[in-house]
Amino acid sequence: MLSETVTQQLEQQLESLLERCQPLCAAVVVTVDGYTCAMKQQTHGKYSLERVATMGSTLMSLGDTMTAELKMGRCENIISENEQGIVAFMHINNNLVLVTLTTETNSLGMLLSHSRKCAETLSKINYS
Amino acid sequence: MNDQKIVFTGSLGAGKTTAIASISEIPVINADIQTSDFTRPVMRQIEKKALPNNATGRSMTTVAMDYGEVNLGSGKKLRLYGTPGQQRFDYMWKLLIQGAQGLVIFVDNAGVDPVGDLARYTDIFREYILTTQTVIAVTRMDLAPRPSMQVYQNYLHQLGIQLPVFAVDARSSESVVNMIRHLIEMINGENH
Repeated sequence: MLSETVTQQLEQQLESLLERCQPLCAAVVVTVDGYTCAMKQQTHGKYSLERVATMGSTLMSLGDTMTAELKMGRCENIISENEQGIVAFMHINNNLVLVTLTTETNSLGMLLSHSRKCAETLSKINYS
Repeated sequence: MNDQKIVFTGSLGAGKTTAIASISEIPVINADIQTSDFTRPVMRQIEKKALPNNATGRSMTTVAMDYGEVNLGSGKKLRLYGTPGQQRFDYMWKLLIQGAQGLVIFVDNAGVDPVGDLARYTDIFREYILTTQTVIAVTRMDLAPRPSMQVYQNYLHQLGIQLPVFAVDARSSESVVNMIRHLIEMINGENH
């Protein structure tokens, strides 16, 4: 279980991510076995994110399994490009996954770049 | 149809992954991950009952699926899919059950509420159970001999469902194969 201090740090970083990258609608940090640790969205309550976050852990696990099968190392991120938006899933570390989403279908680059930087920042938090 | 698809479902730690690994003739594809602090207390409880004194086990859980294969001869394959045990992953249950000819519901007899687990899974898969072939696999009876097999049979009778109930040691290929053989006979019987 994450400490309150760590949870606050995660929430602050997610908030700052949403401020820096306007097209982003929401960001969630989830454990690799599907438990939500922190979440932020531009419009409060617009998305039911807990279930999406759990699915994120499944996708990352499948990604890791696939890349291991292909001997391609760890799966860095999974992108779901959809008619009305994009969802990206990426590892923060071995235990946590960052899920970010946008409804702007032409913002993939921005989404990935900001999310990657955020994941790197989040990986430096002391979780012990 | 050349191949047969069977889905293993049931509660967390009931032995689905172990059972697939016991009989698969290919290296099992599994998307198991280390449990987080949120799940760990439940897994510890399971391990405490399953392992000898002072032994420690890997706390792993399935979040996507397990997959194994068994050759049935004449080019036919038995494809085995294991679902995640935790209800939070129920979207995977619905995906994996599509196109399956058979279902095995695993119940951990050493669990907190094994009959309750059976009730939950028979309810979730009720529509499927009524239209296709299903068996119940009760595991860890060596650690917890009660409830007896009769209790499960009585419960299913109350529900108006007739399903074979097997005591299964998920670690023993012989035990798992015996149950699977019965299920395949049921599937083949239905197709004739």
